[in-house]
Formats: sequence, structure tokens, C-alpha cells
Amino acid sequence: MSERRTAGARRYPRSPAEWVAGAILYALAGLSLVLLIGPSLIVIGISFTEKLYISFPPEGFTLRWYEAFLDHDQLIDSAFVSLRIAGWVTVLTLALGITSAFSLVRGRYRGRTALSAFMVSPQMLPGMVIGIAVLFFGSAFGFYQSNPMVIIAMTVFCLPFVVRIVMARLEVLDPSIEEASANLGAARTQTFFRVTLPMILPAALAAAAFAFIEAFDNLTVALFTASPRGRPLSVELYTLVQFDSSPIVAAISSLEILLALLMVFVIGRTIGLEKI
Amino acid sequence: MNATARRAARPSARRGLAEHPLVLAMLSSRGVGPAIPALAYLVVFMVIPFSLLFSFAFLTVDRGEVVPWSFSLEHFGSALGDYLFWRIAWRSFWVGALSTFVCLLLAYPVAYLYTTLGSVARKLLLVAVIAPLLTSALVRVYAWIVILGGRRGLMNTVLLELGLVERPVRILNTDWSVLIGMTQIHLPFMILPLIAVLVARDVEIENASLNLGAGRVETFFRVTLPLSVPGIVAGTALVFALSYTNFIIPQLLGGGNYTTLAVQVYEFVVVILDWTKGAVRASLLLGSCFVFVLLIVWAGRVATRWTEARLS
Repeated sequence: MSERRTAGARRYPRSPAEWVAGAILYALAGLSLVLLIGPSLIVIGISFTEKLYISFPPEGFTLRWYEAFLDHDQLIDSAFVSLRIAGWVTVLTLALGITSAFSLVRGRYRGRTALSAFMVSPQMLPGMVIGIAVLFFGSAFGFYQSNPMVIIAMTVFCLPFVVRIVMARLEVLDPSIEEASANLGAARTQTFFRVTLPMILPAALAAAAFAFIEAFDNLTVALFTASPRGRPLSVELYTLVQFDSSPIVAAISSLEILLALLMVFVIGRTIGLEKI
Repeated sequence: MNATARRAARPSARRGLAEHPLVLAMLSSRGVGPAIPALAYLVVFMVIPFSLLFSFAFLTVDRGEVVPWSFSLEHFGSALGDYLFWRIAWRSFWVGALSTFVCLLLAYPVAYLYTTLGSVARKLLLVAVIAPLLTSALVRVYAWIVILGGRRGLMNTVLLELGLVERPVRILNTDWSVLIGMTQIHLPFMILPLIAVLVARDVEIENASLNLGAGRVETFFRVTLPLSVPGIVAGTALVFALSYTNFIIPQLLGGGNYTTLAVQVYEFVVVILDWTKGAVRASLLLGSCFVFVLLIVWAGRVATRWTEARLS
């Protein structure tokens, strides 16, 4: 990684105005960091409280809210619904995203740039409107809200992440390595499975992590496309947050924060966090 | 016989699928071929549904069934002629704009200081920025309910302890809570594009400015800030679009009757089941959001041209 430091910073003494500006800079950055990390820490703290309602500071230490979650059949079922949905979305987006990324990076045809812009365009669309559009589309053909509908809409929503991450990797990939493989007598398929695929594997893993967590957490798409029965966890939680003040939501939230950290770890280990 | 030898002896074991003409064609293709499945998917499940969504705004839809030959501009007209609609649209706009501005104010220092850090500190900072990004928005909204809510909430406890207020104050279910929630939840989306441009900038230009006798503050405003305009534009456009179209935050942090355009879309589609009105609002929301994003991009271009003209 290239180290860039403001090399001139030390050479000149600071004027009073610069001290003030520096202080403001650090104060704002500090406030941002507190805002970024603080709320998650507070939720994790609350999840261990012994009180029956949300209060701060949390009192005592208990795992009862985690147990309450595990004993809550409806919530556990919805967690599995979410896992299934996220799994399908990951598979679909990877299949569609990796193949199209190859064409978008290596293809030589007119309109390639326009096509790339189109492929990542769902990114500019709010999840809510994607959900509503797919809901209207389905109902026009007699399909109603269901988990397949969530998967279909969510795949539109998550595809840009995969296309972007895999494209970024393919762009820096040196084609001469593959040419070497071909020159050494490997068949095209052999080159692909032994050389190309392993080289884009980190990007594919990172993209999978990203798509999975987005699909698992997403509420805006799911709220419009999920059926009232067998709803995903995000939709269940949405109702729970509105009408229930017990710390069980804090326990589930803490688990989701843990899952997010796991995905950060996966992305950091595969393509590096700078690439997001 | 070891595994490698066995594979060599039976070369056709994995060949069946891998050497299928279709697979071969995709691997060697320099054409549009491999992109076709994704293209088809987006056309069927994005382009057609969105066209349908817009067309619903002109049709009468009864319980999910389109009434034939009911084309009319009246639905748009009645929304645009409604005083309440404009008041709600105005609120959506200023809440989005203000939270975007505060986001920029809070994000820039983080991105700026990021570029002065060593590699370990950079990694830690990125974890602090990206972990919230990957945490569900609902979890983060819930955190703010915990912090801001009620007399026993964290905010009131702290304010009372410090003696800043005498009685518990109400923050949840006001403009403030919506603004705080939007700003905090969209902060990572502002920080990341800013980091991207600030890391890529040429520090030597700043050093030259310092060596030529400009102060650090002057150097920042005349060199660093203009150089980072592309990142500011990207972050601002993204955060504004996200805030403007978010309905979860106003609904949960603004109390039951805090209405923005996005909240109205949700209510018409899911609660009232008036899909025509929902489609009208969704089309207007999307259309106006697009216009605002273009305005932000345009403003960025003007700013860049202006600084370039001043420098030369």
C-alpha cells in the first residue's frame, strides 16, 4: 500500500488560526467516530441488561434475551427464511454478475460502456421503488407477495455490488498469465478453471459476502415483496421495533452486528477494505 | 493410483459440462454473449416492472387489477394540485438536504485525517466505517430509539446528569430525531467516496502551496478542497438520494405521523392499497430525486470550472 503523508506538515510552525482549524478538524472527526461506533456499542450493552425494558445504563449481566430469541419460534423461523433468501440471492447475483463482468471488461463491442452503466444502474434506485415495481409486475401476471418475489427483487438490488467488485478485479488482472497458460498447452476450459477462476476468487468471495449481508438485512425491498406469512427477519423486526420495547430486539441486533463484522473480516481478507 | 493420475486417466470426468459448446463460447467470447443473462434479467425484472410502475400512475388500479381503458392524467394532476402534497415534498427535500450537508461536514474531517494515518490505523478506521455500512439500517434506527427515546433514554440520562436540562426533553418523534438518524445512518456513504479522492490526490501540490508561503488553512481551502470536488459530488448525490427516498427513518424516529414523500408511497401501496396514488408518488419521488442528483453533479462541474478559471 502506498503511504502518502502530508510531508510539509511539520516544517512550518502553526499560527493560532491553524491551531483553531486543527482543533475543529479533530473535534468533528471525533464526533463522527463516536456516531459511527457508539450506537452499536450501546445496543450491544443493552442486550445484556437484566431489566425488562430498554434503559441506560444497562443493569446486571444476563443472556436471557438471547435465550428469548432462540425460544421465539416465529423469529427463528424468519431468520431461516432470511438465510434462505440471502443464499439464493447470493447464488443468483454471482452467476449473473460474474458472467456479465467478463463480458463488460473483456468484450470488444460497441455500447460496452453504456451496458456497464446499465448493469450498475439499480444502485441508483431506492430499494423501496424496486420492491414496489416488482410487486406491481408480479400482480399484473397473477403472482402475489412471496419469498420467490423477494429473491427476484433483491437480486436486482444486489447485482450492482457483485458486478462492480468483480469488474474491478478483472480490470487489474494481467491477461498475459492466461495467455501463458494457453501457450503452455492448456485447453481454454482448463485455463479458465485453473488460472482465471482462482485469480478472481477473492473478488467473488467479497462480492458474495456483500450480496449476502445486503440481502439478509434488507428491509426496504422485502417489506413490499414478502408474504405476510413466513416473513424474513428484517420485516419481523420492523414490526417488533414499532410495538415491543423489550431488549430482545437488542439481542438480535447484536447478533446482526456480529454478522456484519464477520463480513467485514471476509472482505478485508479477500480484496481489502479499501476496495469497497 | 493417486488422485492426479486417476484424473489424468479419466479426462472426461469433469469435461461433460466444462467443455459444453455453450461454456466454451462464453469463455472465449469477446462479445456481448456472457452479459446476456444478466441483461435479460434486468430487462424483465427491472425495466418492465418500472415501466409498469410509471404506467400505473396513469391508470385506475383496483385491488391489484388494472381497470382497462382508464388512462388519465387526473391522478398526477390531483397530486400536484394538492397543497398538502407540496408541504410533504418540501419536508422530504429539506430533511434530505440538511442531513446531507451535516453528513458532509462530519465526513470530510474523517476522510481527511484518514490520509495522514499509518496503515494499521487506516485499517481500523475502515472497519469503523464499513461495519456500520453492513449493519442493517433497522438495527441502527433501533439504536437511536434506545438513545433518544423516553425519559430513561441515554440522551436524557446524560443531559440530566450534566445538569444541562432540568426536565427530560423530548427528542424522539421530532424533526431532530429524524435528522440525527439520517445523518448517522448515511455517514459511511459520504466518508468512502471522500476517502477515495483524498487518498488519490497528489500531496506534492499541497506541499508546493505551503512552500510558497500559504498557510495550512488557505492551502486546504484553495488546494485540497477544490481537488476533492469529485468525491464531494459522489458522496453528496448518494447521501441525498438515500435520505430523500428513505421511509424507515421518518417512520420509526419521527413518530407515527411524520410524513415524507417516501412514507406516503409506503402508506398508499401497503396500508391504504391505493396503487395508483402510490405509483404517482413513487414516480414523482424517483423523478425529482433524479433531477436533484443531476443538479448536484452540475453544481460540481460548475465549481470545478470556476476554480480552474481562477487558477489559470
